[in-house]
Amino acid sequence: MTLKTTLLSASALALLGALAQPAQAQDQSCPVRLGAILSLTGSLGSVGEAIAEAGQLAVDHVNEAGGVLGCEVEYLLRDDQGQPSVGLDAAKTLVEVGGASVLLGAIQSGITMPILTSVAVPSGVPQVSCCSTAPSFTELASEGGTEGLWFRTIPTVSPQGIIMAEKAVEMGYKRPAVIYVNSDYGSSLASAFEAAAKTKGLEIAAMVPYLQEQASYRAEVSTALREEPDSLFLIAFPADGANALREWLSLGGPDTLMLSNALRASEFVEGVGAQYLNKAIGIDNGQIEGESVEIFDAAWVEAFDTSPNGPALHNMYDAAMTALLAIEAAGSTDGEAIAAQMRNVTGGGGTEVLTGPEGFANAKAALEAGEKVSYVGATGAFSFDVNGDVSGPYVIYSVAEDGGFSEVDAWDTARVDAAVEAFNAADQ
Amino acid sequence: MIQAIADGLSTGAIIALGAMGVTLVMGILRFTNFAHAEYLTWGGYMALFVLSATGLEAGSLGPFSLGPGLILAMLVAMVLTVALALIADRLVFHRLRGKVNHITLVFASFGVALIVRYVIHLLFGGSAQYYSNDLRFAWRIGDLASVMPDQVLVFVVTLVVAGGLYTFLRYSALGLAMRAAAENPALSAINGVRFRTILLVTWTIGGALAAMSGVFYGVTVQLRPDVGFQLLLPIFAAAILGGIGNVVGALAGGFIVALVEAVALLWIPSGYKLAIPFIVLLLVLWLRPTGLFRGTSGGAK
Amino acid sequence: MTGLLAYSVFFLTIAGIYAIIVMGLNIQWGFTGLFNAGVVGFYAIGAYTCAVLIGPDRTFLFGGFGLPFAGGMLGAVVAAGLAGLVVALVTLRLSEEYLAIATFGIGISVQLVAINAAGLTGGTNGLYGLPRPFWNLTGDVAVFNLVYFAFVLVILGLIWAALARLIRSPWGRLLRAIREDDVAARSLGKSPVRVRIQSFVIGSGIMGLAGALYTGYIGFVSPIDFIPILTFQIWAMLIVGGSGSLLGGVVGSLVIWLVWTGSGTLLSRVAPPELQAQASAVQVILIGLIIVLTILFRPAGLIGEPRAVTPARRGG
Repeated sequence: MTLKTTLLSASALALLGALAQPAQAQDQSCPVRLGAILSLTGSLGSVGEAIAEAGQLAVDHVNEAGGVLGCEVEYLLRDDQGQPSVGLDAAKTLVEVGGASVLLGAIQSGITMPILTSVAVPSGVPQVSCCSTAPSFTELASEGGTEGLWFRTIPTVSPQGIIMAEKAVEMGYKRPAVIYVNSDYGSSLASAFEAAAKTKGLEIAAMVPYLQEQASYRAEVSTALREEPDSLFLIAFPADGANALREWLSLGGPDTLMLSNALRASEFVEGVGAQYLNKAIGIDNGQIEGESVEIFDAAWVEAFDTSPNGPALHNMYDAAMTALLAIEAAGSTDGEAIAAQMRNVTGGGGTEVLTGPEGFANAKAALEAGEKVSYVGATGAFSFDVNGDVSGPYVIYSVAEDGGFSEVDAWDTARVDAAVEAFNAADQ
Repeated sequence: MIQAIADGLSTGAIIALGAMGVTLVMGILRFTNFAHAEYLTWGGYMALFVLSATGLEAGSLGPFSLGPGLILAMLVAMVLTVALALIADRLVFHRLRGKVNHITLVFASFGVALIVRYVIHLLFGGSAQYYSNDLRFAWRIGDLASVMPDQVLVFVVTLVVAGGLYTFLRYSALGLAMRAAAENPALSAINGVRFRTILLVTWTIGGALAAMSGVFYGVTVQLRPDVGFQLLLPIFAAAILGGIGNVVGALAGGFIVALVEAVALLWIPSGYKLAIPFIVLLLVLWLRPTGLFRGTSGGAK
Repeated sequence: MTGLLAYSVFFLTIAGIYAIIVMGLNIQWGFTGLFNAGVVGFYAIGAYTCAVLIGPDRTFLFGGFGLPFAGGMLGAVVAAGLAGLVVALVTLRLSEEYLAIATFGIGISVQLVAINAAGLTGGTNGLYGLPRPFWNLTGDVAVFNLVYFAFVLVILGLIWAALARLIRSPWGRLLRAIREDDVAARSLGKSPVRVRIQSFVIGSGIMGLAGALYTGYIGFVSPIDFIPILTFQIWAMLIVGGSGSLLGGVVGSLVIWLVWTGSGTLLSRVAPPELQAQASAVQVILIGLIIVLTILFRPAGLIGEPRAVTPARRGG
């Protein structure tokens, strides 16, 4: 077979694969399809694999509980390779030929945003992201650009910056340095922290951005250390974060550390060594203790035999669960109906339902009985605001000798809101 | 400033090791092998594979993380990397050599690079890995600077390797033949120097140095499937700066690239760090189109 | 419009935009022999220029001139062409390997500016909510997709026609003469450097235009739209399709983009869920294999250049 025919037949196969779908897509009822676009390779591939598994776990749990709308749920996972045009193409395939009722993802805002504005909104399909924290989504939503179809189970970074600044004061730090990943996530969180720290009279010794996946962060770390900071707020993804922190500690940087939410990951703690993190405090949204969290963690360990601590695993599980609950509550796979139910199945009131197959089975029973349900997820209880942003509790954690995480300070919604208001008042 | 220089020298050693291999291949085989950077990654991961397959500890020697286990693993990794380089040459580059425009050859190396990188991804997964989880603390040199013991070791080893390579090329018969091939392939063919031998030796040296560089990278930083890709620009910048085919030039080029990068960050926002090797390269090429040091005729027009 | 048709229109629009970039590269590499490893940089300059010119006014941004889309397209061509001129003046006296590394660095530098110059480019968050031409024609997104597809096709056709004319002109013959043997061309009293610069600028301008079309279609740009892998994809399209052939470039764009995205769809169907992440790595390996095999077995690409002169055998 010549190469030309090989190529042609490969292309033909791909097309045939795509052609085989519409017959099923016509059939609106079964199975219910959940599309997910995540980075399985590319710059966030190391983070994305586990996030994809968290989505799979949620779908497995729901199927164990008998599925939704009497149908089995199919999880259609696609890799965006860290490239927006690839992610867009995947999303378009999922919606147009794959018959996905809801889109989950993506991780990086630069991929989530084009999917939202070019696929989800025009096609009327709700999109729930586990991971994109950029403030631009809030703005787009308030300008009316998302048509109510946009949700995310991870909060914007602004409260995190404010809470962390407050913790820095509490810990007695005077001159923290900030080393942050130069992505939408890192730069927004860094500037939120900087603004909040200034209102509290802290002096930021250095603000040092770094690019992902660089050969060495020695130069960045030296730049930050030159200003003689008394502590470090590290905003990073696990692999780069471990790399940068190893350089920081080796070069004699103080071990008075503050860690961003994406660093609550075993990969990070193992990379650095738990023994160097005993003075570190970190922040994450959601709870890390409580029944709904424990059910998820136990199910995770049973399914994958790895630690359930990684960036956005819990958020992804909640994104999938909330979407499936909303489908069940809506009684159909119509996009607008699902979006309308997203707020109803969260945010307190009604029957509280937890994670795991049992949680979903309980939810189905309650919905059938005509009750309102309220999901308490792997990140604890949360609710969506008018822009699709999630608000919920925060937790301050520390790293134990064995590499586990424990809660040292809990910030419930009221306390978070108070801190945000105080900041807004001081910032005027 | 002194700290920046210390930082630059230690990073420079790893770049220099990669660049010395690249410059030999570019000078003698006359093509820019973009897959070379992936050989670094391959080398680093092969050492990891040896450690985990044999259950050996990386071990340590005094203040250095490069213990007996890791040294053994590195030697095996060097052999495996040479094997990869030879296989890639046999299956792809050799078939194309002399038949196609040499940029097509360069492009084929892009394809090979992609395959190697993702085979590593497939075998070892995408997350960061380490030979050992011990953290070593820096030596303080007065109040001036902090340096890591491993980096000093890497620096010294790099100088020794460069010295050895230089001696080989300068004084051994085979080395002379290689240099002759770089200067003038047609003439050396007439002289009966067997191209196959030169090919073999060139890939052996290039592959072994790449593996070494990859292992050192793994020791001082971490291993990830895209390590090589991230080092591509600095390594090629160093090779070109030093003059193609010039081993000592590549060594100097590696240090220059890393030093300028480290020192420039005193004034330039670190967000632009990645562009620095390239700007240095453009400046140098503007002033001296064949590189800072005399290269062979392979690179310049 | 059925789902498959809707998807096909979307797919072909993106492939069409890539085919336009490939045309820009074809004039630089295929017809003149200039190695540009920074394709993504010129594409990015076009996309961002267009976005800044047509975008809505936002307080934290320098841009937001609210120009009509035609203005954005024109600006994109001019900006990318100017960037091409500067790059050409600095680098074109270098030999191919050096030009390759130098342009590779330019691609990366442009992305760095996009990431860091937040006041102009929106930084890592990108520029969002940009107006899309033809979006409000009927309010139906299917109509928008169809009209935009036609729009891209028309532009692709215009560039094709213009390049075909250009190549047949004396200037085009000079290009190929220089590519094959610039000493001979020089001995005939032609200035290779000048012609090279002209070719590089035209090619860069075309890439910039493609960037503007992407901005207009998606309504959003951010730095990760311009990662280095895109340069590689464009090159793959040109080499696999057939460098030096306009038809080859278009065929290559279709084939490579179909393989790149279609293999993902295919593998996600075939591979069991727990192996999805591994399947993604297999996908990229397959793509690499296809490129290497094409070069090995069809060095001239699927559709080779109609030979005007003897085959090139340089470097060796």
